[in-house]
Amino acid sequence: MTSFKFTKYNIGRAFIYLILLFFAFIYLAPLYVMFTTSLKDIEEIRSGNLMALPIDPTFYAWKKAWSSACTGSDCNGLAPYFWNSVRIVFPAVIISTIVGAFNGYVLAKWKFKGSEFLFGALLFGCFIPFQVILLPMAKLLGMLGLANTVTGLVLVHVIYGVAFTTLFFRNYYVGIPTELVRAAKLDGAGFFAIFRHIFIPLSAPIFVVTIIWQFTQIWNDFLFGVVYSGSGTQPITVALNNLVNTSVGGKEYNVDMAAAIIAALPTLAVYVIAGKYFVRGLTAGAVKG
Amino acid sequence: MGSISLNGINKSFGSTEVLKNINLDIKDGEFLILIGPSGCGKSTLMNLIAGLEELNAGEIVIDGKDVSEESPKDRDIAMVFQSYALYPTMNVARNICFGLEMNKVPKSEQESILKRVSELLQIDHLLDRKPGQLSGGQRQRVAMGRALARSPKVFLFDEPLSNLDAKLRVEMRTEIKKLHKRIGTTMVYVTHDQIEAMTLADRIAVLRDGELQQIGTPYEIYNDPISHFVADFMGSPGMNFIECIVKDENLIIESGGKKYELLIPCTDALNNSNLDVVLLGIRPEMLTEVQPLAVNNKFIQKVKFDVEVIEPMGADTVAIGQWNDSEVMVRLSPESGNSAGNGFDLQVDTSKAILFDPSSGLRIR
Repeated sequence: MTSFKFTKYNIGRAFIYLILLFFAFIYLAPLYVMFTTSLKDIEEIRSGNLMALPIDPTFYAWKKAWSSACTGSDCNGLAPYFWNSVRIVFPAVIISTIVGAFNGYVLAKWKFKGSEFLFGALLFGCFIPFQVILLPMAKLLGMLGLANTVTGLVLVHVIYGVAFTTLFFRNYYVGIPTELVRAAKLDGAGFFAIFRHIFIPLSAPIFVVTIIWQFTQIWNDFLFGVVYSGSGTQPITVALNNLVNTSVGGKEYNVDMAAAIIAALPTLAVYVIAGKYFVRGLTAGAVKG
Repeated sequence: MGSISLNGINKSFGSTEVLKNINLDIKDGEFLILIGPSGCGKSTLMNLIAGLEELNAGEIVIDGKDVSEESPKDRDIAMVFQSYALYPTMNVARNICFGLEMNKVPKSEQESILKRVSELLQIDHLLDRKPGQLSGGQRQRVAMGRALARSPKVFLFDEPLSNLDAKLRVEMRTEIKKLHKRIGTTMVYVTHDQIEAMTLADRIAVLRDGELQQIGTPYEIYNDPISHFVADFMGSPGMNFIECIVKDENLIIESGGKKYELLIPCTDALNNSNLDVVLLGIRPEMLTEVQPLAVNNKFIQKVKFDVEVIEPMGADTVAIGQWNDSEVMVRLSPESGNSAGNGFDLQVDTSKAILFDPSSGLRIR
């Protein structure tokens, strides 16, 4: 710092960092409050300062939120619903991603009469609000005998997600030179061989983007979860809501906070693990041969 | 082996006709160049031969078999693309063998083909690399290796050298020619570079606006062009075109402030055409400084010439001046010592001069 001077440039920089720090603080403050509160006992919450660190940290609230808190009439914590969410999210993400990759491949490189219109119509699916399809979808699920089932929720999420995944893959594949397809055709590769040997190996970044996107969307979904699930098949978001709204005696803020963090943890983990690929995938341009 | 017949080919994209009634016979083992300015349909014609586009009318016969309706993989054709189109996630070895793999060639056979091809193209030390780790010239070789591996009936080249720098382009050009000599397979090669066309071709087909203008050996195309367009397209520096008034079977030109009557061949044709004004086409190498030992020939004439610009090109020097208000390029030896702003005696050899109808652009003959 010996050579630091108050030049115009340095003052500007300092100002930028100050603003960034300020906003980082605003964004992180709730997380801080949630985390510290979840480690306090209920006496300390009532008497102490919201921003203070816990005096005697305890994982009691976390244990209770996971295994014994009451969500409505059941008192088994979030655990069963967490696994419900897992059982919904994994198949829904995998199926919608694979279907999207395939759709994108066809719409980008095997254009047919009306394929542009079809793509436009699919895009339209991205803009349909959840609420609009609630009733017709309920009717459809009833007809299929999938009402109140995990399979039904998977189906809903796949249908709703395909519009987005198709858009992602189609736009990514448009950037891959068509000459690669032509070269492969002359090499004797067919429709599926080209997809498997040339497009799939090029798709890692867009797979990451799509998986993160779909995972976050489906894990965090509340509306479809609350409408189409039965009592035993509710996803964790619905259970969290029930947990917070069920009060036996006083409100247990520490349990509520721990439960909210548990519900958010998987999406957080996905970002931490794959986040850098997310940005890379979104900005990935054409593949140079 | 690999003869190709194109019979009455028509191709439109929407309402634009890209190719109009193309008829072309390519002999087995021939090196045919398709040349023309951009947008003339040459790449489309190549894609039609490969089966990457569908015909609107006509038929394509390869090796005596009508393949118009067949898919690219059944035509036994290999193609080298302008962008090389190497598979970016596969290493060089797999790029070369991909076609064999798709055609279910046994592994051991693939190995021996890979060895042969990579040694032929001197890329055997690159087999484990990905295309992204190769230089332009190396990619070009790999792309050729991929085409060679399948031993197809016909090779198609779509402007394969246009992404290389000038020096490498000349090197690869020679290599392609050597390759053709060695394997003797039919090659169809698209380019817009007339030097590539002249040096490589057995025959050149000149395309313009979707129509075949002329087909012939490089010598015929260069010395006996059918139209103003073909004459203008081939040669660098290009042919000179001068509008001249006809007088008693001679052409009147004004050069260096004086008027001359230029004696020309093909006077019968000129008489038959009944034109008062014709377009004289004469190549720059027919206009030189006076050669002391020139053979006695009535078509060798002398005119005064005023030099406006001098462009030294190393092996020779191009001087630019005016005839009848048209720019004229002459080819001098670098030792001639002429400089801009000076006049000198120019030796004009009209024995290879040709005449065009100025309105239609067609040859008068």
